[in-house]
Amino acid sequence: MNLADLPAHAVHRRLAGEGLLLHIPPIAVRIRSPMRAFAEQLRTMYSAYEIAEAGTFADIDVRIIPKRSKRLRPLACFIVDGVSPFDPFPRDHALPLLEWGVNWVFAQRMHQYLLLHAAVVERDGAAVLLPAWPGSGKSTLAASLACRGWRYLSDEFGVVVPSTLSVLPFPRPAALKNESIDVMRSFAPDAFIGPIFPKTRKGSVAHLRVPSPSVRRARDPARITAVFFPDFQAGAPVSVRPLSQSTAFLKLAHNAFNYEMLGETAFRTVAAIVRAVPCRIIRYGDLEAAHLQIEILMKEPAHAPA
Amino acid sequence: MTAVRDLTWRIAPGQRLVFEDMDDGVLLYDSLVGRTHLLNATAAETLTVLERNPGLTSDAIRRHVTEALDLPVDALPLSAVEELLDWFERLGILVAR
Repeated sequence: MNLADLPAHAVHRRLAGEGLLLHIPPIAVRIRSPMRAFAEQLRTMYSAYEIAEAGTFADIDVRIIPKRSKRLRPLACFIVDGVSPFDPFPRDHALPLLEWGVNWVFAQRMHQYLLLHAAVVERDGAAVLLPAWPGSGKSTLAASLACRGWRYLSDEFGVVVPSTLSVLPFPRPAALKNESIDVMRSFAPDAFIGPIFPKTRKGSVAHLRVPSPSVRRARDPARITAVFFPDFQAGAPVSVRPLSQSTAFLKLAHNAFNYEMLGETAFRTVAAIVRAVPCRIIRYGDLEAAHLQIEILMKEPAHAPA
Repeated sequence: MTAVRDLTWRIAPGQRLVFEDMDDGVLLYDSLVGRTHLLNATAAETLTVLERNPGLTSDAIRRHVTEALDLPVDALPLSAVEELLDWFERLGILVAR
């Protein structure tokens, strides 16, 4: 059963009671919250995701609960396993709070995988890692590719199975920030973009709902065939700069969430990736030019899936 | 007191070095402390020489390294080898006796 199969009142009742268990491969997340507006937002953004019965094992158990405050505007707290690891958000920002919190917990715990800070998309069996720090345009680029037929695996995590070139999907709504929201609205007018949450810590945020075909294939790994470091620069013509293997290694390792935690396993895994696939920086100033460049690059034999 | 050039060098006890060859250098993983280093050919060969032949002096290391890299021995100044050994010692990768 998918979340969309539950009527809104049932979603709210389950969230307010025993919890709603969502399969977001590779994990299952139990979510509890009494907040009706949050229930509606969750149902909208995760409509295509499978739900499980309440007794099913959950990798992560989270609650989004209101925090009472007489002097401040109403707040919401993110609680994981009974602990609130960071400051509350405004109550009407409950959805970004869930997204931020689940990202945080995933990065803190899922050390059976090498977790690269990267968006990931795939087409015809060829997965492309788009590693970058915030502000480099990786979420927007991945979201735009997802709107043009690419499978969307993540806008935040390259979930790599250690000692392989296999990357797992962790498909969650793509977080579009500030100018990217309007950019995506005009680039893909038919894409579903949720409400804008203004004045978050990262400015205005809105989420692109993951296209249903990508959700349906959320358990299918893909093979990494390219690493493109996106570098959005407003107004810049598109350009491609190949990276040496060692430079690519250092860039990838530096932006992994758990490189030091995994130690030698991470060292060998990153080395295997940069030796196996071409690594490049793609600088671009608009999405159409970036798409065209990626299409050209992906036609090279070096990017063909094995 | 032992003169610097009489010191003999070896891999630090308990150390296990992991190498990965890249197209433009060699990556080294220091498994004792979990640090990654990018080495040039001379540095990588120095460690390889000492893994195979512990207890060499800096001059002997210089001869082994230049031979392995197919270089004339004077292409690698002894002072450069000593600086490199000193750097590895500070990192806890090598020890001198």
